[in-house]
This record gives sequence, structure tokens and C-alpha cells, in this order.
Amino acid sequence: MNKNLSYKKPLLETPFHERTLEACYNNDWYRWAGYKIAKEYSSTELEYTSMRNTAGVIDITPMHKYDIKGVQAREFVNKLVTRDVSKIQPNQIMYIIWCNEDGNVIDDGTVFCLKEDHLRIMCAERNLNWFTDTATGFNVKIQDITETIAALAFQGPLSCKILNLLNVTNIENLQPFKFGNYQINKSDVLISRTGFSGDLGYEIWCNPADALNVWDSLFKFNRDYKVLPAGMNSLDMVRIEAGFIQPNADFMSAEQALRPNRMKNPYELGLSWLVNLEKNYFTGKKALKKIKNSKLNKKLVGLDIQGDKPANGSVLYDSNKKEIGIVTAAMWSPTLKSNIAMGYVDSNHMKLGSKVYAEIYHPEELEYKKIWAECEVVKKQFFNNNRKNAIPAYI
Amino acid sequence: MKNFDIIIIGAGPNGLSAASYLSKSGKKVLVVEKNEKVGGLALYADSSSSLSKKVIDQLGLKINARKKRTFVTSLNDSFNHTVLEIDENNSIKFNECEASLEDQNSFLKLVKKYNLFAKTLSSFMFNTPPRVKSGNKSDLWQLISMGWKVRKLGKKNMRELLRVIGLNIADDLEDNLTNDNLMGILCNEAVLGSNLGPRSPGSILTLLYSNAINGSIFRNNNLDTEQIISSIEQSCHDRGVEFLKSSEVKKLLINNETVTGIEMNDQNIIESSTIISTLDPKTTYLNLIGADRLDTDLIRRVTNFRSKGNVAKVKIEFKNIIKIKNLDEKYIGSKFIYAPNIKYIEHAFNNNKYNNYSKKPCLEFYIDNKNISANLYYIPYLKNGSHDKKEIESNIQLILNNFIDNNELIKFEIDTPNEMEKKYNTSGGHWHHGDMEIDQLLMIRPFYGSAQYETPINGLYICGAGTHPGGGITGINAINASKQLLKK
Repeated sequence: MNKNLSYKKPLLETPFHERTLEACYNNDWYRWAGYKIAKEYSSTELEYTSMRNTAGVIDITPMHKYDIKGVQAREFVNKLVTRDVSKIQPNQIMYIIWCNEDGNVIDDGTVFCLKEDHLRIMCAERNLNWFTDTATGFNVKIQDITETIAALAFQGPLSCKILNLLNVTNIENLQPFKFGNYQINKSDVLISRTGFSGDLGYEIWCNPADALNVWDSLFKFNRDYKVLPAGMNSLDMVRIEAGFIQPNADFMSAEQALRPNRMKNPYELGLSWLVNLEKNYFTGKKALKKIKNSKLNKKLVGLDIQGDKPANGSVLYDSNKKEIGIVTAAMWSPTLKSNIAMGYVDSNHMKLGSKVYAEIYHPEELEYKKIWAECEVVKKQFFNNNRKNAIPAYI
Repeated sequence: MKNFDIIIIGAGPNGLSAASYLSKSGKKVLVVEKNEKVGGLALYADSSSSLSKKVIDQLGLKINARKKRTFVTSLNDSFNHTVLEIDENNSIKFNECEASLEDQNSFLKLVKKYNLFAKTLSSFMFNTPPRVKSGNKSDLWQLISMGWKVRKLGKKNMRELLRVIGLNIADDLEDNLTNDNLMGILCNEAVLGSNLGPRSPGSILTLLYSNAINGSIFRNNNLDTEQIISSIEQSCHDRGVEFLKSSEVKKLLINNETVTGIEMNDQNIIESSTIISTLDPKTTYLNLIGADRLDTDLIRRVTNFRSKGNVAKVKIEFKNIIKIKNLDEKYIGSKFIYAPNIKYIEHAFNNNKYNNYSKKPCLEFYIDNKNISANLYYIPYLKNGSHDKKEIESNIQLILNNFIDNNELIKFEIDTPNEMEKKYNTSGGHWHHGDMEIDQLLMIRPFYGSAQYETPINGLYICGAGTHPGGGITGINAINASKQLLKK
């Protein structure tokens, strides 16, 4: 029977699989870079609530990790990305995007500075090819080390408290976008104060051999603090609230888009703060200079939508019912008690406070209810809590 | 150092032509050459017929054409050599030929067909190729006229052109001919200097292209290369072009994506806002500009540009005057080809595919009393290591001893593509700086993002053989690039 299956090799399992399999009551898996990652363990809403109220644990091992070593490591990354990373210091992390020659965004990620000649880039999509081609002429060695590091995102207001209870010394003084070497239950780990939730949270990077020990430790105090493993669906909810964009969901990666007009540049994505046109040459600089001086036709904005029906996949219109854009991500936000979305609008509606309309098709017991909802253009960062950047962190 | 309007890097035929043309338009020009002697890769060719009339006229060159080589001799292992006689009007006569009359006629018909198509192609050859989608009216007009020239062939011929343009030469020959020797003669013209075998798709296009550039299918040359070079050099001197010989450029000085000058190997700096590089695209982009100043997409295109040479230049001296077995002495001045049949050439090409030199190579050579000057293929460029030259020498000797009467080899010199690379800074040691195949021609030569002789760096132009219309000592690259430059 099994011989007839079309695939030869099943999806890879992360070092946490023993635990995630046990916890994944729904047996609902998501395929991420060839790995099996839980979409929903038992209830997306519950997992979301844990991330917003206590803490949630997400297996992010499939995140691609590229080691960049060599005397020109910083110069290379500076050539790769749009932001000026030439002065990145050890233990510092920077959010980065990289573009192609037309100034269209390929992917985003974070760069960790381990040593002056040793950087590490973490990103969601595969990029080794692009990195090695960019490295032509640079004295660096690039290596895909994805399999050698197990990773967990530990996000939520109690994340610091629990790490503190686990005797992770001085974790509360770790600044946002910094990382350090710590120990969790005798396992050496690297902890960074980063995350995809827009709240207080950490990402824990460890040796695959220590993975289960780290996982179990995080749930050690569950009698008092209900920490839950969280799936991809709940992660999607928190990231929309935080206003973080995702390649191939909110924009097409320039390396993957087939139609040239589907690619997006940083200005269209509202990421102009990441572009430094003053620094040394980087891929896309020439094009971005041109784009900066020309009129923007489309922009990804945040939308505050009337009513409570999420506007997934809705088309956006202006007051004359002329089509002006589309919604890329939408949800009812339980924390904010509002109906939020991200979407593209045309040049006349980019300003904060502009009014646009969304046509929402809401399924109600096998019938669609068509809703014409007014939306206000707002900042993408819907959820923004002071906890996120507080030092010392909330214990 | 004095100030110059334009610095030209490399004193090959294109560099010299550009220098002469630009100084004629009143520019102060400096030519920087790595070697002591000007001429570059062109010095490998003893003779040429490809220098464009347009270039001769515009630069006012005085070159005495010598008599065309009238005979083309294809050597045959059974000593039934084929000798073609070609007159001033490029019509062909069979002086010696074992092939049947029917085959001879088919051969003439084929050559006529190729000549017609080459003539159509040659009308694209001499202008700057248009940019597709530039929105520029003149570009659009040029595109339309290119299409019209193909259409003008008539329905039947146009269909035939479109049928064969991507085809391999072996198929077309086998459809029309039966004689091995006749097929070998045409195959030699199609594959020499390219990275193709007779059965590689696109080998007809390379034949047509070389035919278009040289104005004849057998390249029976009538100009002496040394004379071409020295006459262009003379015209440069007459117009006050300055030369800096025996000095190698280390890199370009670039500020804000604009060239500001060149830095020499001895740390000297010469400033200029306009620079023309006649080096091959890979060297220009990766060594002179540096990959750190280029977009990754462009780096990909540069590194993917195919520029692996596979022809070696061989000079042999014999003890006595050379005589060919079973061949009348009056044919000794002909162009000799040793490429007996399709299978032989294809087998020689097989070695090339795996980075080995051909154990049984093909030869094209000229005899001058006791000397032979030959193009030997396939001897591929090696990224690491080098070929066993002794072995290559004995391979050639095996072939030549077959045909040459009682003689003794006393001197053997060979320049493989690796040596050409070293001597003339040509990455890959390719004759034409890069394969002349359908994806590296016209508006996409050398590659997208660098067409019309321009580069992403302001003020930097390229006009080596890596640009349209490619290699072959035409001088056209230089004139087109200069015109493009003067437009700005």
C-alpha cells in the first residue's frame, strides 16, 4: 500500500517534534521549508490568548539561518541589505530587508552580530543562492546552518518572568534587539529579545540535542502560569496585530514573483525607514534612488474597519466605488476589540485618516452576507504595548 | 599627469579605432595598454577580411589589400584532397574533388543559401542594436526595419531561415550532402572559435554570423592584421592620441556610481570622467569595477556570460620546405582544413565538453615555406591546471606527418586559451570575448543591463569584442560605442 504513495520522503521533523506531536491534538500540520510545524494545536484562539496574556511557545526551527564568516562579513551584509549595518556591534540584532536590482523586496529577516567577523542572518525563505551570488568578490564564507540550531519563539507578557524563574540570570536587562548567551536548566542557549508578536518576547536558539530539555523547562511552571504551545495560525494573528509583514502573503518576494508588476519596493511596503541611500553601494541602490524621487502608486497601509466581520481577501474601493486595492491580511482583534486589516491602497488614499471602503463577503451558515464597510487608513502597528521595550523587562 | 577627456583601456583593434575616432571629434584621448606592443588578441590572427569598410572610411585608413587566398584545401585521410577555388566574386569552383557532381551542386546551393541569409543578418550587424521597450522611436524603427529585412527574403526563404537558425549544422548538411569532406569544410567554419560541435544547436547561426562579419563563408582573408593594427595606430598618432604602454590598470575609481579615473598597478592615478574599457565583460565588471559596486542580478549575468575559449594558436617550423602529399604545388598557398568528417569533429568536441583537449584535434592552417601557423581546436580553457603540451604536440605531429612529405619538425610553439588569458587579460581566453550564440548576441550582448555599449556606472563604456557585433576585428564595436558616447 505504502509503495503507491507519490512521495518518497515525508516532511522533516524538528528536534521538538516529540513534544509538538504529543501536543498537537488536531494533528493539523503546516509545511514550512520541508518541516512539519503545527498550524493549530487544539484551539487557535486559546493559543493566541496565551501569547497575549501569559506566554506562548512556537517552534521556529525551520527559520533559515545563514552563518556569514570572514573579515568582510559586515561589508558583505551591508552590500546585501538596504539598511546601514556597517556599525553593527557584537550582541546586536538588526531588522533588515534586501532588494533586487529593480529595488523590489526579496525577503526580510534579522541579522545577528556574534563577532565582528561573524554574522548570522535569520529569514523565513531560502536565500542561500542570492547570498552567495551577492558575496562575489567578498572575502566571506556563507553557510546554511538551519539544521544545526533548534529555535523557539517564547512570546508573551510573562515570558521574562518564566525565564527568570528558570534562573536565567539578568534576562530582564536584555535590551530589545540584543542577544546574549544564557543557560536554561543547564543547557547552553542563545536568547535574543526579538519576536513576531509585537509584545515582550524572546527567541531561544539552542543545540538540537538540548531541544527537549529547553522545551520542557518552559512549561515547568504551568501550574501557576498557563504557557501553551502555539501554532502558526495564532502566530499569524499576533503578527497582524503587531503590523509585521510576511513575504508571499503581504508582498511577493521578488525572487519568486513571476509577474514583474507584482513585486513591491520598500516604499510601497512602508519600510522606507530601512533604506539608507547615503551608505556604500548595495543591490538596488540605483533603482531605489529613482523610486524615491517618483510618485508612489500603491502603498501597504493599516486599515481600521467598521463592524466586526474580518475583511479577508476583500477588494478596496474609494467613495466612487472605483477599485483602489486589496486586503492582504485581516482579522478581528480580540485584544484591541477592533476589526483590523492590512492592504494596498492607491496614491490618493495613503495618508493616515483617509477613508476607503471594503467589500466583505461574510459567510453565515452557508450564505454569504455582503457588507460594505467603511475603513480608515491607520498605522500598521495596531498593537503596541510599552512592555515590548521596557527595561528591565516586566517580571 | 595631464587631464584627458577620455581614457581607453586596451589597445586592441577596438581600442585603437575608438581612440582614433574620438580624437577626430576633438577629444583628448589616452590609450592605456598592458603590453609593450599594441594589437591585443588580434595579433593572433595573421590575416583578416572582417575590418568594416565603414571603419576604414571613417578613420581614413590606408591599407593595401593583398590578393585573396583563392584556394581552400580540405585534407583527406585517403589523400583525395578537396580543393575549392574561390574567385573575387566569391563564386566557387571545384578544382579537385572526389564528390559526385550531384553533391557538388548541392554544396553550391547550400553555400548560396547561407550567403543569402548571412547578407540579411549583416544588415543588423553594423548599427548599435536597438533597445527593446525603451520607448525610443529610433529604437522602435530599427526593430521594425530588422523585421522587414527578414520578411523581404520572401516567404520561402524566410521560413527556411527561421527553420535553420536554431538548428545544428550537421543536420542541415546530412540532409543535403553525402560527401564527408564537403561536410567537414562547412562544419569547420561553423564551429571554429565557438563552444559548439557540429551537432550542437545553434551552430548554423554561428556559421551565418561569421559569414556576415567576414563577408564570405570561407574567410579567405585579404588584409594583413599587422598592417591593420599599424595603420589604425598611425591614424591615432596623426590625431594626437597619447599612449601609455606597458602599464596595467588595477581598477577604476568610482564615486557615487560615476567613474572619476583609473588607478594603475604602480599606484598612479589618472583622472577622467569618461572611460572606455575594451577588455572582456567579465574582466571589466568583476576586476575593474568590482563586484561590490554591482547589483547581484548583474553579477549573476556577468558570471553566467559564457567565455570559455577552446582554440589554441600553434606555430610550427619545419626543417625543409613543406610539401603536401598528393597535392599540386600551386595549392600550397591555400587555407588548409583538417576536419575530415562530422563524426571526427564531434568526437573532438566530446573531449572539450569534459575539459580535456581533443586527442584527435581539428586544424585550420596556412603554410609559409617552412612554417605552419595553425588554429587548433578543441583545446579548452582550464580554470585550474594546464594541458600537457608535449602530448598536444605529438597529437598534431601524428596528423601532419600523414600529409607532409619527408620533413622534420624543429620548432613548436603553442598558445592555449590559458596563455591568451594571461597575455591579454581576456578571461577564458576566448577569441570573441564570449560565445557568439543566440542568447549572447545583438541587444543582449554581452547581457541585459549592459547593452548599447553602456554600463550601470556613469561615464563607463565598453566596446570590446564582448559587445555587439562581437569579435572578428571589425572595428564596428568601437565606432558604435564612440557614437553612443558622443550622443551624451
